[in-house]
Amino acid sequence: MITFLNSRSHKELVSCVGWTTADELYSCSEDHQILKWNLLTSETSLVVRLPEDIYPIDLHWFPKTLGGKKQNQTEIFVLTSTDGKFHLASKMGRIEKSVEAHKGAVLAGRWNYDGTALITAGEDGQIKIWSKSGMLRSTLASQGSPVYSVAWGPDSHRILYTSGRQLVIKPLQPSAKVIQWKAHDGVVLKVDWNSVNDLILSGGEDCKYKVWDSFGRLLYSSSSNDYPVTSLSWAPDGEVFSVGSFNTLRLCDKTGWSYALEKPNTGSVFSLAWSADGTQLAGACGNGHVVFAHVVEQHWEWKNFVITLTKRRTMQVRNVMNDAVDVLEFRDRVIKASLAYGHLVVATSLQCYVYNSRNWNTPLIFDLKEGTVSLILQAEKHFLLVDGAGLYTFSYEGRLISSPKFPGMRADILNAQGVALSNDTIAIRDKSDEKVILLFDALTGKALGDGKPLTHKLFRHGEMARDHKSPSKCFFFKQKKLEVVEVALDQSGPSNERKIALIDKNRDLYLTSVRHLGREPKICKIGSMVHSMSWNDAANILCGVQDNQLTVWYYPSTVFTDKDLLPKTLYIRDGSEFSRTPHILSYVGTKVTLRQGDGSLVYSSVPPYPALLHEYSTSARWEDALRLCRFAKDQSLWACLAGMAMANRELTTAEMAYAAIGELPRVQYINFIKEQPSKESSLAHMLMFSGQVQEAEATLLQAGLIYQAIQVNIDLFSWERALELAVKHKTHVDTVLAYRQKFLQKFGRKETNKRFVQYAEGVEVDWEKIQAKIEMELSKERERAANTSVRSSVASRR
Amino acid sequence: MAKDPLAEAGFYFDELNKLRVLEPDVSQKTSELKEECKEFVDKIGQFQKIVGGLIELVDVLAKEAETEKMKAIGARNLLKSVAKQREAQQQQLQALIAEKKMQLERYRIEYEALSKVESEQNEFIDQFILQK
Repeated sequence: MITFLNSRSHKELVSCVGWTTADELYSCSEDHQILKWNLLTSETSLVVRLPEDIYPIDLHWFPKTLGGKKQNQTEIFVLTSTDGKFHLASKMGRIEKSVEAHKGAVLAGRWNYDGTALITAGEDGQIKIWSKSGMLRSTLASQGSPVYSVAWGPDSHRILYTSGRQLVIKPLQPSAKVIQWKAHDGVVLKVDWNSVNDLILSGGEDCKYKVWDSFGRLLYSSSSNDYPVTSLSWAPDGEVFSVGSFNTLRLCDKTGWSYALEKPNTGSVFSLAWSADGTQLAGACGNGHVVFAHVVEQHWEWKNFVITLTKRRTMQVRNVMNDAVDVLEFRDRVIKASLAYGHLVVATSLQCYVYNSRNWNTPLIFDLKEGTVSLILQAEKHFLLVDGAGLYTFSYEGRLISSPKFPGMRADILNAQGVALSNDTIAIRDKSDEKVILLFDALTGKALGDGKPLTHKLFRHGEMARDHKSPSKCFFFKQKKLEVVEVALDQSGPSNERKIALIDKNRDLYLTSVRHLGREPKICKIGSMVHSMSWNDAANILCGVQDNQLTVWYYPSTVFTDKDLLPKTLYIRDGSEFSRTPHILSYVGTKVTLRQGDGSLVYSSVPPYPALLHEYSTSARWEDALRLCRFAKDQSLWACLAGMAMANRELTTAEMAYAAIGELPRVQYINFIKEQPSKESSLAHMLMFSGQVQEAEATLLQAGLIYQAIQVNIDLFSWERALELAVKHKTHVDTVLAYRQKFLQKFGRKETNKRFVQYAEGVEVDWEKIQAKIEMELSKERERAANTSVRSSVASRR
Repeated sequence: MAKDPLAEAGFYFDELNKLRVLEPDVSQKTSELKEECKEFVDKIGQFQKIVGGLIELVDVLAKEAETEKMKAIGARNLLKSVAKQREAQQQQLQALIAEKKMQLERYRIEYEALSKVESEQNEFIDQFILQK
């Protein structure tokens, strides 16, 4: 939607625009005037008439907020002009300072995100950095052709600028590597770099606009339009961007496809600016007008409800089941909205409205401190609001539950990929160190556990299997920490089994538990080449886009109990029905909603059985679960059941499930566990089953079953550990030595281990004695188990 | 007839017996000439008037022709620019159509995906009923 405020306009072409608040805009024109446009009152007033020799080119307001703190400095802006100067001007329009900066015109001037530095680019091909007060710090680059546009990187450590047909990313440190690449077939006229999604936008005289990632890889290239792209701008939240050229205004998704095209009669659009809340767009037009645009017709879908933002302050709710239509009116402009878990949360510039899907007439309304909500996340019991100042969780009754804080927090650049919410946990990827995930209790806002954040460490292939045997040793392996790209928390189940799924820079998918006791949590890889993922809203089922196919992990937690089972629990949908890297929007019930690279929505349905199975497993209805599996006759379902039963130590069910998928060795092992004389032994072997050798050994030692612990180590051929235990507890040293000898004999090798040689000297190996000793140990254990069971049965009778 | 001494002296009488110094036929001729001259002047005056009117008329016509010419030139230019405008409009509309077409294509894909889901679900329901 486009509106003109025609009350007054410039006489010459408008060169630049900039927002001060969500409803106030400054514009500069070649008629030497600075005008102020108030959108609430639709008034336009003259701020100042500039001297006749100043022809403004670019305008940029000093950044308002810094890491949640308000800058209490008087508001100023930088104005660059054709005479080679830039001017620092106050809100009243008074020019505080003019600085001679370049030969020829100064084509761009930009503050960095924390307002500590200003960068200018000139016709003379130089790029200069200035302090806040306008003192020259350094000349960062100089080239033979004019620099038309410049942008700061999200971390304010790098800049992006144009160089003819090329784009250049240059870090501020002189030694760091410069990235330069050919971007367009014509001169590049405008660039922008978003701080939230780290994507780069460029437009040039070849009439195309392109989206790049921060490594200079092309993500999208538009087809050639009719006119050169004269302006482009990211919306602050990085979800959409706008492109302006002659008589053209276009709104595009961050993946490049275009939502809407307008052909207003404006002449060329020389500059575009989004208001801080991302709802309004202003364009500086060649015919002296300033054009304002609003984003409308957004859709939200959840189960049988479709909600459309019909006007700036009006939403229409349609119940598809009975075609009932409700109209929701708001006092202020709608900034963000989210619909999930039966609730609609709408943030306007002053208030937050919470609707229950059962009743659209009486919303719950509470006031917001700051008007620029940038993100709303929902969980079943509460929702999370993110604005420039911080994060807040609210219950659906409108009560503030918590507001997690952490050092170096920059809430304004959090996006949906970097934050995850569940009923009890909030996970946030640390922006300053993207390998780290911060975890908070959603109910108290305090850091989880010992307060140590989760660090994503990558073990080289094969080391994952070893690290649990010797967690102390794993630090000696070459550890590589990798940046995390996306995080997601599972939504159901008890809070102490909360799992977090994360995708790292290599596009590998990992799973780990959030709450853990003592030791470092195990991070298990469950997939590779995963581009996006989503947990189911009701069951702990994970779906992801792998390469080009849709993969559903029916029971991802199985990696913690039986890793080999994981590939059997997958449901894979051929990717032929999707084109071009689809992105998962939601996974509600049995419906997965994806958006393709060209912007079209596609849906995929997942069988309903696994969700049912999850329900049976959590309520321990194993009989029903078995019946369901028999009914569905699906191997992956049986595999899920096997994993679930094993995780819940439900051996009988597990045995049947493993038998159904033909995993005979496992069935045998389960039988072996069942035959264990004592509870501790069977527990230890169950731990062994899921590969947790350390825990298994600890369990046995705790129960005083020294021999069993040694035997476990012997069975695993970890001779040194077995010997160590034997020596430490002064028992069964001969047993260890005997088995070692047997092992060496079998392979025809000689003892080389010094410790074994040393102990072998003093100990005589007598197999008969050893057998007798083992027999004794076993009978002792049996006896003890019988005693305890008698005692417990007596206790229960009492 | 005897010579008139008066005539010799250059005096003559006219019909009204008034004394004259000019010969009567000369006088007559003079007056005739005067008449003729007057007639001529009148005619010339008339001619001038007519010519003046004609010139005025031609001027008016010229002016009219001039404005018509300008009009024609303007119209011709307008025509040319209209063609261009149309072209621009067409281009704009083409761009909008292309946009809508893309949207349509997206909807088509969405529809196809949904119909596929529907058929899958129907199949599932059928299977479910059959197995029961």
